[in-house]
Amino acid sequence: MRAGRLPNRATLLVLALLVVGSALGPMLWAISTSLKNEVNAVSAVPSLIPSPATLSNYVSVFSHKTFGIELLNSIVYAAGAVVIALGVGIPAGYVASRYTFPGKRSIMLIILATSMVPGVALLVPTFYLLDHLGILNNRLVLLIILASRIAPQTVWFMQNFIDAVPTEIDEAAHMDGASRAQILTRLVLPLIRPGIAAVAVIGAITTWNDYITVAVFAPDTTKRTLQVALVNQVFDAVGISWSFTMAFALVASLPVILMFLLVQKWFIAGLTAGAVKG
Amino acid sequence: MTEHTATIASGPTTAQSARVRRRLRELRPMLWFMPVLVLLLTVTLYPTLFVLWMSFQNTKFYELTGFVGLANYVDTLSSGAFWETTYTSLVYMAGSLVLSLGLGVLAALVLNELRRGGALLRVLTLVPWTLSMAVVGTMWLWLFNPSYGPIPYTIRALGLSPGLMLGDPELALWLTVLVTSWWSFPYAMVIVTAAIQSIPRELYEAISIDGGSWRAKLRYVTFPHLVPTLGSTALTLGILYLTLITLLIVLTGGGPLGATTTLSFEVFRGTVQAVNIGPTAVYSIAILLANVALGLLYMRVTGRVTA
Repeated sequence: MRAGRLPNRATLLVLALLVVGSALGPMLWAISTSLKNEVNAVSAVPSLIPSPATLSNYVSVFSHKTFGIELLNSIVYAAGAVVIALGVGIPAGYVASRYTFPGKRSIMLIILATSMVPGVALLVPTFYLLDHLGILNNRLVLLIILASRIAPQTVWFMQNFIDAVPTEIDEAAHMDGASRAQILTRLVLPLIRPGIAAVAVIGAITTWNDYITVAVFAPDTTKRTLQVALVNQVFDAVGISWSFTMAFALVASLPVILMFLLVQKWFIAGLTAGAVKG
Repeated sequence: MTEHTATIASGPTTAQSARVRRRLRELRPMLWFMPVLVLLLTVTLYPTLFVLWMSFQNTKFYELTGFVGLANYVDTLSSGAFWETTYTSLVYMAGSLVLSLGLGVLAALVLNELRRGGALLRVLTLVPWTLSMAVVGTMWLWLFNPSYGPIPYTIRALGLSPGLMLGDPELALWLTVLVTSWWSFPYAMVIVTAAIQSIPRELYEAISIDGGSWRAKLRYVTFPHLVPTLGSTALTLGILYLTLITLLIVLTGGGPLGATTTLSFEVFRGTVQAVNIGPTAVYSIAILLANVALGLLYMRVTGRVTA
């Protein structure tokens, strides 16, 4: 619903372009720099149009000796954390939606309480515990920690999606002798496939973008992700090549932007779910 | 079969054993919660209790050397550094909230007025929100680069002196606020847009009939309807800003001269430097309590209880 015509149509268009421009402008500058050669990137008079334009920075990124392992780690962590979160979140969400039993309220409260513990507050105790158990720099441990960060939201999303599936479907299948597991995997899950995809993408973006968990608990060169490698380039203030770093940052963002554009409708629905109060 | 044997051995009546079996059957769905509970209890809840325990310990590097009661709390809370850091956190949070909510409302109103293309432009505007803080920080570090960045260049072209930008203790926190808002105003925009679109059309029509202007519509219909949504959005973003670290690591490293050292950054610094982790545990508890308080307030404001 529109609030009514603004005084001037041209003003409105200029304002709209300003909004989009301010959001995308800094990214355009990054793209421009990534297409410049190292000399032009640091010219005294900055120019948005790279001349000559070159893809050499992207070639350098892809052929960098640790890029392959960092990319692989980013993919493995994002995919693995989502798989674990869905693995524990789907059964919990199903039972939360379909059953009442003694203790259910307490269980939901525990899940809610853990969602209120910020990752920052867990940095020092988790580091201490992992260090003393000798399991820093362990991919599986890292996966489990990353999964735990997205697990509570996964449970709630699943509960909401399954709430929308009529219980008559479960009851009819139960009459036919189907087990609870069969009802969930063969009937309910196929019906909420788009929802699962959205949760998976949102969880994958969150995990892909993480820096702090990986940097603190698995800083090893062979265990780190693209995000950690990017920040390490910035730390190397003397040796930094800005055109290379911008290309690296864009390559590290591309999967996220693509995933976002792919599911933007659900992504936005996920953001606004419950946030609007009328 | 074993169940049956056990029943005979312990010798309760059949009615009793039937009751026990029914009760067990009732509890069986709870098993489906076990995986997520085990995950959250070991990876989240146990370390939470452990950091509380740590905060009562004397520490040397990464060793706990004995119970000291509230000594860490007394030391930390009586130090000027803790309160300076808390103040920096509050200024950073308040500044970022004002700017990102302001820009978010403005962007939502403008794009919502467009007859065509509004939805597409909103999706494009939302892209920064999907970027990682590492990427956002790196991009802005380059934009602010005092020697080659386009922002200092523009400031110089206007005949002013850009100074050290993020290296300037007076300026660093405000530039960090600016970057934080650039990254998060699109989130506010999306939520506010949804709120605007949920306002009943009749309310606007009533003002049109009375001959009211678009200003009157904003003043008497749109803004009053946005207040609750802005409250819950401020809480969500407030929690985010309170616990944010990566952007600070990349942009300023907590400096210059501690000008951008927030509570959360201090926890990061204390964790990786590991000189004395007792006080770091106290900072962690402070953030935890603030986060829980904001979280409970959020639940109250939105009326959402999951259980």
